[in-house]
Amino acid sequence: MTGLRIALPGGTLFESACNLLNAAGVARLDPARFDRELSIRDGDDVYVKVRPTDVPVYVEMGGCECGIVGKDVLWESSRECYELADLGFGRCRLVLAAPRDSPLARGVWPQALRVATKYPISARRFFAARSLNVVVIRLHGSVELAPLTGLADCVLDITATGRTLAANNLVEIAEAGTSTARLIANHAALKTRNESVGAIAVALRRVAAERLTAGAA
Amino acid sequence: MTGLDALPPGASVRGRADGFADYLVGPAGRRRELTDRFIETFEAWGYGFMVTPLIEPLDTIAAGVGGARQSALFRFMDSDGALLALVGERTVSVARVVATQLHAGPFPLRLCYAGSVLRNQALNAGRRRESLQAGCELVGAGGLAADAECIALAAAALERGGVEHIQVDVGHADFIPGLLDSAGLDANAREEVLAALARRDLVAVESALEGTDAADAERRLLLAFPTLRGGREILDTAAGGLRGARPQRALQELAQLWDLLDAHDITDRVHLDLGAVRDWDYYTGPTFEVFSVDSGFALGSGGRYDALLSRFGAALPATGFVLHVDRCHDSIVRRAGAVAAPAPLQVSWASDAHAAALELARGLRHRGVACSCDLAAGGDGDVRVTASGARWSHLGRDQQGSVDAALAALVAQAS
Repeated sequence: MTGLRIALPGGTLFESACNLLNAAGVARLDPARFDRELSIRDGDDVYVKVRPTDVPVYVEMGGCECGIVGKDVLWESSRECYELADLGFGRCRLVLAAPRDSPLARGVWPQALRVATKYPISARRFFAARSLNVVVIRLHGSVELAPLTGLADCVLDITATGRTLAANNLVEIAEAGTSTARLIANHAALKTRNESVGAIAVALRRVAAERLTAGAA
Repeated sequence: MTGLDALPPGASVRGRADGFADYLVGPAGRRRELTDRFIETFEAWGYGFMVTPLIEPLDTIAAGVGGARQSALFRFMDSDGALLALVGERTVSVARVVATQLHAGPFPLRLCYAGSVLRNQALNAGRRRESLQAGCELVGAGGLAADAECIALAAAALERGGVEHIQVDVGHADFIPGLLDSAGLDANAREEVLAALARRDLVAVESALEGTDAADAERRLLLAFPTLRGGREILDTAAGGLRGARPQRALQELAQLWDLLDAHDITDRVHLDLGAVRDWDYYTGPTFEVFSVDSGFALGSGGRYDALLSRFGAALPATGFVLHVDRCHDSIVRRAGAVAAPAPLQVSWASDAHAAALELARGLRHRGVACSCDLAAGGDGDVRVTASGARWSHLGRDQQGSVDAALAALVAQAS
């Protein structure tokens, strides 16, 4: 039986994903090598570095058997994958934030709310549960600029430290969710490659749990 | 090729909608052959071929599968204002036919079908919106022998169609709901866990269980969820410590089913999968999915659906399955590569030999050899037969019309 193909998310989670795989004894990856090559063979397995939003696409369609990706990406994805484990790293929150001096910051919700976000699907789900009259404006980056320019009343965006929000004079109004990195697997691969996929899940969960305990101690 | 700047915005690729496919000569034929192999197998097992419409009233579909799946359908209105939909699967149609036209029996009824189904998938998702399904329904048989027959037939049809290395995962739709019942979870927690399982989100299953006082044996099983797979031995492992009658009954049924599958001689391709996530509102007993390492998607799936027929007024037990022809075809191509279809023979002729050429062509076709005859005279030979381009055969005057000679000459040149 050949090895597995595993999709890794480029960007902020990339080095942590490689480190966790190495620490779990699943792989021996040098993150810097991916600067030159997008696909690296490690033993029988092949690791590919793709855009985070593409990880569920590769996994659902069977291009890769497994993948590591942030929960925030899964919120936005309609791809059907198994979410096998919470890997603990890459912790960040999806929050609704508004300018410090806005009515919203004082707890006054406007009749119609314009929300700028890179997470339109999460935004619709978040506001649908609250029966608010909302216009979602999908942007692809720097959503903090939207309230400053009058494009939107508030933003729904990911924050890890809150620094970017504060630097743009935005305050948190509500939290929509907490995201961490997840191990996902293809439906058929979970059945036909159950032992290999299961072994990775067990190893990564063990290290993630150890780190959680060490962090708490 | 026209550059993007010269194309009107929003133009689809020369008028074909996203998610639909043209199948050209070759792939289209292999897809049809694969369907034929499936149907032949179904008929060989005594299943009668039937046809249902591509369109059903939305009410009919909603009665069958509930409201949740309607958003995935192509829906429209006819001139009377009636809401219609293109079918997203065909079991509901067969159930409607049985309940309204075949309810007098005799039972069990063995029916099979093949046809397009349509799903309104997101644009550019790489998913098919139209796909070809071939399926069987075994109606009026409540016993596990019927479930075993469907599983064995699905495997036999796939193998007859040339799908290699198949693996059948057999589960039970009542095991996990029963487990949640006997775990003593309240209704909210039960729904939360089932919803998380339906989303295939095992992280959420775990956190939903953490906040509950689920009994240990049940919690252990629910958390071990994706690894509850194997042969008959896993049933004993799973049964240990379980008190609830419902999950126990599911395990007993799976044990009996395993023995029946053993009698069908297919247990070398079967895994029991207690963690199988299926539509719990639809399936009522054993369920199964068929996989191959060559595909990231299930190639076929099925199970017992004893509640469906009663929604159409005929309380009949039923079990059945569907094979996804396009996914099977993809899987075969991935393993074996695209095999070029044999080109038909070409019969050409000189100016005075048209009738002789047509006679030869008739003879070849009578033998089942595909050939096409040139429409105009060409070349200096009398009658020539050309196979796949380069190889050709002159036939002497005395051989004209002799099919045996034409075939012999072709074989001689090919070897």
